[in-house]
Amino acid sequence: MNLLEKLDFSTAFRELSPILMEGLGIVLASTLCGFSLALLLGTFIALGRISKYFLLNKVLVVLLEIVRGTPLLVQLVYMYYVVPLIITLIGQLWDPSYRFTLSPFMAGVIGLGINYGCYLSEVIRSAIISVDKGQFEAALALGYTNRQAMWLIIIPQAVRIALPTFGNYIIMMIKDTSLLAFITVSELLLRTQAYASQTFLTIESYTILALAYLVLSLPLAQIVRIMEKRLKRHV
Amino acid sequence: MCETMIEVCNLRKSFGTNEILKGINLTVKKGEKVVIIGPSGSGKSTFLRCLNFLEIPTSGTVKIDGHYFAKPNEKLNEKHIAALRTEIGMVFQRFNLFPTMTAIENVMAAQIKIRKKSKEAARETAEKYLKKVGLSERMHYYPSQLSGGQQQRVAIARALAMEPKAMLFDEATSALDPELVGEVLNVIRELADEGMTMVLVTHEMKFAKEVADRIIFMDGGVIVEEGHPQEFFSNPKEERTKAFIKKVEH
Repeated sequence: MNLLEKLDFSTAFRELSPILMEGLGIVLASTLCGFSLALLLGTFIALGRISKYFLLNKVLVVLLEIVRGTPLLVQLVYMYYVVPLIITLIGQLWDPSYRFTLSPFMAGVIGLGINYGCYLSEVIRSAIISVDKGQFEAALALGYTNRQAMWLIIIPQAVRIALPTFGNYIIMMIKDTSLLAFITVSELLLRTQAYASQTFLTIESYTILALAYLVLSLPLAQIVRIMEKRLKRHV
Repeated sequence: MCETMIEVCNLRKSFGTNEILKGINLTVKKGEKVVIIGPSGSGKSTFLRCLNFLEIPTSGTVKIDGHYFAKPNEKLNEKHIAALRTEIGMVFQRFNLFPTMTAIENVMAAQIKIRKKSKEAARETAEKYLKKVGLSERMHYYPSQLSGGQQQRVAIARALAMEPKAMLFDEATSALDPELVGEVLNVIRELADEGMTMVLVTHEMKFAKEVADRIIFMDGGVIVEEGHPQEFFSNPKEERTKAFIKKVEH
């Protein structure tokens, strides 16, 4: 029996690729929103960890340990199914008719944002620390306040140091959006599952899915490499 | 009008239990050039850094042109300290130019952000001071594309562009290759001739002798001896000073 005769890639490709194209928008949107949130959170966590406020520092360390010690998938499920319930319960203390809901997409973006924010905070923190202390002093000597020196002088340099690593995290996040399938976001994996179970073109469908992720991440990896070279010029 | 530019009163600084500065008094008049010399570890750099509160003194006061950084027993006010620092230019041993900015952007940045000047006005001032330090042709270069001496001259232009009332030089030529020291000293000498008030920490004894109105010799966190350069080098009074001069003049 010829194995290849049983495979029907052309049909699968013809039917599945438009479906995947529709899901592409969701993948890109959730990555973009998730990563922006992660950058914002990561920066504030990093600044909090660098600051001299002992209590803030300890609270953030606990948060980091919780996030890094649990799987992303569990966090996403928790964000979608549990967090709205908890907020609803608390809200009902004041208003018995209160109900809080989170769309699958929002829950996914927030979950990805918090998870990646914690990892990025360590990248940002070490980038900030690695900027020469003399830079901070030069800014202070010119009359910058601590905050101005941090935001106008140190962080732009830290960003340059961290940017290649950010690129790698973006690629990871694109791939991790496949986990959103478990909280009913109709991204690529969920669409492929639906198609494969209808047509029984299992091998073909999932192979095409894997290729689709490769097509997304390989060019990005190349862009990161070029960016890395360009940014190294003056630091 | 107050004739005193910098007034330091009983300044002490400790790091942990280690007392680096043990009660220093110093008055610098307007237009005066004071050179601080001394063996390494004598506290001269720490002292210089206390003059613009980059190091916060443990006790004692620093007054710039009649304004305290912090009055005795007063809580530190960050904005006030930053504003007062703007009045004092500082040049560091390791230049500390901002690597993400070109030379002219380095000189413009603080003028725009701190002095709130327009971009055009800042550019004009920057061009003026880069010309003064002889770097007009290099103003669009990044620090990494400049030699050490050129970087230090940009750093001087950056400080001058804030039009400070006084300048502090913290071993401004120590990190330079010997053949580049001259170009930086020339710029500093020219500033001195124009009447800028300055305090310099340096290892260049010949330069110190030539530019200083007053030499201060520090050792062990105190001022051991001070005097007019001629008098100081030819006829030191203290034993420690004599030993130091003998060593550096070998």
